[in-house]
Amino acid sequence: MKSQAKTQPSVPAPGAAAPRIDKVNWIGLKTFIHRELQRPFRVPIQTLMTPWIMALLYIFVFGRVIGSRIEAVGGVSYIDFVLPGILMLNVLMAAFSHTSSSLYFQRFARHIEEILVAPLSHFEMITGYVLAGVVRASIVGAGVFFIAYFFSAANLEHLFLALFYILAGSTLFSLIGLLVGLWAKQFEQLAVLGIFVITPLSYVGGMFNTLDMLPVRLQRITTFNPFWYFIDGMRYALIGVHESNLWAGALLIVFLLVAVGMLVWRLFSIGWRLRD
Amino acid sequence: MVSMKIPALEIDHLRKVYRSGIVAVDDVSFSIPSGEFFGFLGPNGAGKTTTIRCATGLATLTAGTIKTFGFDVVSDYREARKRIGLSPQEFNVDIFASARRILDWMGGFYGMAKGDRARRSEDLLGRFDLLPHADKPFQALSGGLKRRVMLARAMIHDPDLLILDEPTAGVDVELRHDLWKYLQELNRDGKTIFLTSHYIEEVEMLCSRMAIIDHGKIIAIGDKSEFLKGGRSLEQVYLNLTRRGKQGQETGTGAA
Repeated sequence: MKSQAKTQPSVPAPGAAAPRIDKVNWIGLKTFIHRELQRPFRVPIQTLMTPWIMALLYIFVFGRVIGSRIEAVGGVSYIDFVLPGILMLNVLMAAFSHTSSSLYFQRFARHIEEILVAPLSHFEMITGYVLAGVVRASIVGAGVFFIAYFFSAANLEHLFLALFYILAGSTLFSLIGLLVGLWAKQFEQLAVLGIFVITPLSYVGGMFNTLDMLPVRLQRITTFNPFWYFIDGMRYALIGVHESNLWAGALLIVFLLVAVGMLVWRLFSIGWRLRD
Repeated sequence: MVSMKIPALEIDHLRKVYRSGIVAVDDVSFSIPSGEFFGFLGPNGAGKTTTIRCATGLATLTAGTIKTFGFDVVSDYREARKRIGLSPQEFNVDIFASARRILDWMGGFYGMAKGDRARRSEDLLGRFDLLPHADKPFQALSGGLKRRVMLARAMIHDPDLLILDEPTAGVDVELRHDLWKYLQELNRDGKTIFLTSHYIEEVEMLCSRMAIIDHGKIIAIGDKSEFLKGGRSLEQVYLNLTRRGKQGQETGTGAA
């Protein structure tokens, strides 16, 4: 270590003013988002290439190989029919994976404490995690759409609606990811929601079939599956075809956003699994 | 400018009970004036780290209040946290990040503009002889270098109160002496330092005032001269007090 005699004085002046923070710690929030976004780009094969390759395989197999042998489904080609579901599944999983793994590993390695001792509000912490999850999910979604372009399946009937479903869906699943990131005590538990809830509900939520292709009883059950509304809403945004009540679906998404958001905020504010 | 009259740290009837029911801190009250070098001693599990974690926002308070320079650490958390720099016992950093990045991020969390934290980071990296290692991942550094990064991180936002939990644990003698000199310089320049350590001689040398905590309660507090009167060493006093406490526990009587 350099003593003060050997180098120019670097001991800070006493009473130097702490940085002024207004109602929102904008610099802190920006720094946090920047740090959160660095992580997925540190491991791009896992975070970006994997969902893109999976999407490519789905599009090729269900679109070209099987789809070329299937008549129109829902009045459109099979590849056009399944792409919205493939897109939404990847977007939702990317958002969920980002926040759940980020929060869990920061708790596990304890460097979550860096933001807990800093003058960051709970709202800023949550916003930082969620925004990073939304960005990662949006990049994944854009990549899937780009891949679909090469299979002539990149339709876009309603741009702003597509953006709504991407942003709302990824925000919701970023928040759900935070819940799991708080709850998980073991690494394995991070995968539970993805394996047992997100993927299966997406698959049976109209990803590969129209509602009328199901037995009547299953049709009724499907209308209670929130993923059906996400996928069907995105399907309308991309190809102009839908089966669900779009307003009901949008309201459901907004309701879930508010409910889950409030739960996450409450858990952060009481320090559940964050502070001793 | 920090007022010299407002205590740097004021803990009032602090009580911390964990969810398991363990009472880690039991009605602890003490105050550290601004500019003091304060030592906080106690055996493992006495409540030292819990007290620190309550003061810095890492633990919730069951009861009582903690203020730093007059700002309540719960209701005025932004103002309170801006004034505290914490170097904890554990290495709680992103082990894949470099020292430069760690300092940059921490400065950003405290609201420092990019240019300011870049300058401050370079200054601290130089001050702690970390410049040759600044871009290596944290996990690749030796224990001594890691400890320096932790101290630099605690200082990035130029806090008025430095809380150091075992800052010289695992470092070599040379670095320990360098750190002592640096901390004394900081204290002479007006920084308040709150130090916990298992190295009694470290506390005896650096601190002007100290407290001993055991089983969640303060069992002794005062100026260094009070502890050392009669020619006793701090180590003797500490062992007597904590052994008495242990015996008291075993026989069901309170510590003196």
